[in-house]
Amino acid sequence: MGTVIQEHDLGALVVGVTLLGSGGGGDTGAFGRMLRRRLGAGELVLRDAADVPGVSVSPIGVVGATSVLMEKLPGGGEFDAAVRAVSRWTGTEVTGLMSLEAGGLNGLTPLIAALDLGLPVVDADLMGRALPRLDQFSWAVAGRSLTPCALSEPSGQVIVVDNVDAAGLERAVRSFVAHTGGWAVLALAPTPVEAAAADAVQGSLTRALALGRAHAGLEPGATPAVVAESLGGRLLGTGRVEEVARHLIGDGGAAFGRGSVCIVDAGSRAVIRIETENEYLLALVDGIPVVTTPDLLCVLDRRTLQPIAVDAIRSGDEVLVLALPGPAWWRRPDRLTHVGPQAFGLACAPQLLEAS
Amino acid sequence: MRDLAPSLAAMLSSPGWTNVVVLGAAADDGPRLTGSRVLLEVSSHPESLDGQLLVVLLADDHTDWRIDALISRASAAGAGALLLAGVEPLGRGAQLLAERLQLPVLGCSDPLAAHEYLRRVTAEPEVVRSDLVLRAVAALRRAGGDLTSVLRTTSDVLERPVTLAGADGGTLAGEPLEAGERTALVAELPRVPVAWAAPYRVDLPSGAVMVAVAVVGVGPVCWLVARLPGVVPAEVAAVPDVLSVVAPAVGERLALRRLELERDARQRTSLLGELLHGEPSEATRRRAVDLGWQLDGWHTGIRIGAEGQVDVAGRRADVVEAFDAEGLRAVVVEQGDGWSGWITAVREPTATEVQQQAAVIRRVHRRLVQTVDAYVGVGRVQPGPSGIATTLAEAGDAAGLARGRAETGRFLHVDRLGLAQLLLAWTRTDTFQPAAQALLAPIKDQPGDLVTTLAVYLDTESSLAETAAVLGIHRNTAAARITKIQHLLGVDLTNPDERLALHLAARTTPTE
Repeated sequence: MGTVIQEHDLGALVVGVTLLGSGGGGDTGAFGRMLRRRLGAGELVLRDAADVPGVSVSPIGVVGATSVLMEKLPGGGEFDAAVRAVSRWTGTEVTGLMSLEAGGLNGLTPLIAALDLGLPVVDADLMGRALPRLDQFSWAVAGRSLTPCALSEPSGQVIVVDNVDAAGLERAVRSFVAHTGGWAVLALAPTPVEAAAADAVQGSLTRALALGRAHAGLEPGATPAVVAESLGGRLLGTGRVEEVARHLIGDGGAAFGRGSVCIVDAGSRAVIRIETENEYLLALVDGIPVVTTPDLLCVLDRRTLQPIAVDAIRSGDEVLVLALPGPAWWRRPDRLTHVGPQAFGLACAPQLLEAS
Repeated sequence: MRDLAPSLAAMLSSPGWTNVVVLGAAADDGPRLTGSRVLLEVSSHPESLDGQLLVVLLADDHTDWRIDALISRASAAGAGALLLAGVEPLGRGAQLLAERLQLPVLGCSDPLAAHEYLRRVTAEPEVVRSDLVLRAVAALRRAGGDLTSVLRTTSDVLERPVTLAGADGGTLAGEPLEAGERTALVAELPRVPVAWAAPYRVDLPSGAVMVAVAVVGVGPVCWLVARLPGVVPAEVAAVPDVLSVVAPAVGERLALRRLELERDARQRTSLLGELLHGEPSEATRRRAVDLGWQLDGWHTGIRIGAEGQVDVAGRRADVVEAFDAEGLRAVVVEQGDGWSGWITAVREPTATEVQQQAAVIRRVHRRLVQTVDAYVGVGRVQPGPSGIATTLAEAGDAAGLARGRAETGRFLHVDRLGLAQLLLAWTRTDTFQPAAQALLAPIKDQPGDLVTTLAVYLDTESSLAETAAVLGIHRNTAAARITKIQHLLGVDLTNPDERLALHLAARTTPTE
């Protein structure tokens, strides 16, 4: 069995993957529209790994500066080019696709690629949410090599990378996108679906769809508590954004913009502070850390209930701050060290919601 | 220990914390800080603090989320306040949080020094005290000779303003007191202090404290006052000791100053005495030049008398100042219970100029009256060195008359003396003087100073008791003398005509 997606589900799916983005993962709107156009009146099935035995799946997605996607639009052939390159290098035909990252726009890209290439999509991904670095792919954490893999960028250039660890791949990808179009499609080596799914987060897109549907089902005037309950999360506060501070920190090779958002709860006057990089990483209420990665922190516009991304939040916004449970896959201590707050340079023990 | 705990506001205005700034959540007075505890860095966890200041030695980034977390932990641990290394502003979130938890957050470029100071004033008040006293003693040894330098040295040691105030709170040296402080101080201090009295502490409504120690020495009592903008108990306890050490030094400086003043006064008075004695000698002229007196030219004498006990030498500066303020360059000399002075012009002034000058001297008088119960007489313009004596004599007469004349504002100018002056002038004429002397000749060389006794007796409206009191003799002695005078002169003092003649004669005859 799988989850069937039709045109009328797309709105919910887009909101769902945005929520899984925890404030990051790039703008889903453009890919949402692209997907709507590709899908038309047809339907797309998100398959369980168990339903497609024997398929060689390639995890696929967009890497690089997702904000550049708005300016440098996809040409259409990037997915095909990457998949063909990795097939050719490995000598294994790609017969299925899965997502690199379920949160944000990469929750949608494999669906577009699947429609373009006519391949089945397995509902599994390597993050279960949005995370910024390639060494945070579940494959890398589980000890599976990320290479060989192929990158293709909008003007047609393709490179294949092999025999390098996750950090080396990260460097290679960054220098490639920095010197080309700012972003590229990354396709990992085709892998038997049983092995691929064993070291991946399963069912994220189905979860995204469920989240999106719950979100769509909310009344326009729903109270914050109702919103939190409907989405299965915890309400941290409701109020005005008092300050958004952003500063770049040079952190070895990868420099992400570190920042913080300060919100004062309208009712209790509690001070909520959220530390950010590409995603919302850590929330403190009155100075006490309450939720950290890998759980999801979502900031919603109080009026429209639409998620607000890290790079879009502004002082004066009236918002809800919600925490949703992160993917269960990460909740093992040995995995947690790769995605917990320490992995982002925040000296704080992981604070996770009670597993629901 | 709690009674040694200063409020945050007092600490912020204390000398050891001059470089501490408030970064967030400053209340009016702030909490009382019971002590100080050090934490190495922001991620450390404080133990129970019970109102102590938590000092964090390493805090590079004041916008870091760990500052927020630390504020929360410090508040939970019961910290009185939090002090971070560095003075960069806090992030908005930390500020809001500090306000919410009412935990003042401070910044300081040298957190260890701030910690050390707070620890000392809360835990080792006697060290603070002995340190200040020793430093004051050492600094006084190096201080310059004058009063200002002693006060400045003390002020430097205490790092607080120090003032020498008079009994009325007026500033004699150092930084002037504000009006409110002055009133509060005068209300608290006794009129007549005793040397061994404990230092006085005056608490102002603003929360500031003044500590006053009496400086008892020559001249009127004055007070050495230190002002502390807030109560740091250890400091408030130490300052009186420091002031008590300094007070004798101040007294000594005051005595030296007084000595100089008296010496100068004596010099001037003796020179004036010589001038009044007739044509000045060569030596006298030289000394006059040394003092800047111009003997030639046209002089206008001025006599300023003062009622009551007035420190004539000490207040001379006020008189000179009053003349200066009105643009008159007058020589002022202490003489008796007042001052004699004169103004010298190169050429003879016209009548109008004389009138104008008199008007200006009247203004000088009005200025003086604000602080001294003074009466003033002004003589006529007289030329040459001997003119000084003449015009001063006139001024003296005028002053004598002015004293009893409230209707002229206790100011008389000889040109306007009218009848009274004519009468007095007449007694100085060549016809009256010999007659007067002849009249009194029988009692002149008798034992018991009969001339003076007679003059006093008549001045006191023939009261024996009063006469005895003025002369300091027994009533019976006075009665015996009067009887003797009547006998020797062969007069009846109850006869009005005879009494008038004798009264005038007694007035005009100089007594030895």
